[in-house]
Amino acid sequence: MNNMEEKLWQYIDGTCSNDERLAIAALIEKDAAWRAAYNNIFTINDDVSALTLDEPSMAFSYKVMEGIRAQEAAKPLKTATNTYVIGAIAGFFILAIIIIMMFLLINGGGNVNVNLPAFSVLTNSSAIKVFFYTDVILLLFFVDTFLRRKRSSGEAKSV
Amino acid sequence: MQSKLTDIELIKRTLSGDQQAYALLVKNYQRYVFTLALRFTKSREDAEEVAQDSFIKVYKSLGSFKQESKFSTWLYTVVYTTAMTSLRKRDINTVALDDEDNFIQVENSNSATDVNSAENRSRSFYLNQAISQLSADDAAVLTLFYHAEQSLEEIALIMGIETNGVKIKLFRARRRLKETLERNLKHEVKELI
Repeated sequence: MNNMEEKLWQYIDGTCSNDERLAIAALIEKDAAWRAAYNNIFTINDDVSALTLDEPSMAFSYKVMEGIRAQEAAKPLKTATNTYVIGAIAGFFILAIIIIMMFLLINGGGNVNVNLPAFSVLTNSSAIKVFFYTDVILLLFFVDTFLRRKRSSGEAKSV
Repeated sequence: MQSKLTDIELIKRTLSGDQQAYALLVKNYQRYVFTLALRFTKSREDAEEVAQDSFIKVYKSLGSFKQESKFSTWLYTVVYTTAMTSLRKRDINTVALDDEDNFIQVENSNSATDVNSAENRSRSFYLNQAISQLSADDAAVLTLFYHAEQSLEEIALIMGIETNGVKIKLFRARRRLKETLERNLKHEVKELI
């Protein structure tokens, strides 16, 4: 029975060889069991082909496009940042520093006297020590965060 | 009146920033994608969610579409993967997708116990009912073959299996559909008597 069904489906799909096709056609014509099975299968095939597709809701395409727009808007700042803007800001500051330096050089007649504090003041001051240790703690904190992120992304990739 | 644009033309327009072109692609394929998703999820709400997710995923990776296959084949591959992932996540009904002996039990609003009389039901109703009672995999193969106009080779690509495997799956799906249809109709005749 299964073999008959399988052959009939191949016959209907047109996936059998020419010889097989002729043999099956002859069986359908002569054998009542084959003819009945063929008619049954052919009707099912026709009915399934004629089935209409299901319709999503009226607002489906609108929802899809809204979803796309929402995702576009929610892009991370890293990818949305325009590098030209960053370059322009950096350029402005560099230019400002150059102008200030030139202004000082011109007004000072080439003798710019900058009084830097003594090195011992820097090392002995408790405020500087607090500043230095805070920097070290912050650095360790950022290194730890960076390493944790790296490890978790590696685990995610391996899954 | 504007002539109908091909999928490739619409993709090119979308990639150049024309979102309306993608909206047209969505409109062209929404029924196919929704029907395919419905074969897996068996609920309209979930099917819409899967279809929506699939279209968004396709939009995001449209630039990587190499045109080695038809756009529809690529789209259905995404739908198939999204639907499978969604099913696995929810673990609905705890029935294996390709279980030969089990069928997903579906809450069918148009079940045999409905108040509608059996005489008024069309053959398409019984077919739809039988398809909804098939396993997700069987129903998906039938939908891809009959409605999404995909060849056996393309279905193999979508499902990630060999073409011979698709032939076997299709044959089994048709046999189960026939058996389910006969069982349902027998039940209806008994009801009438």
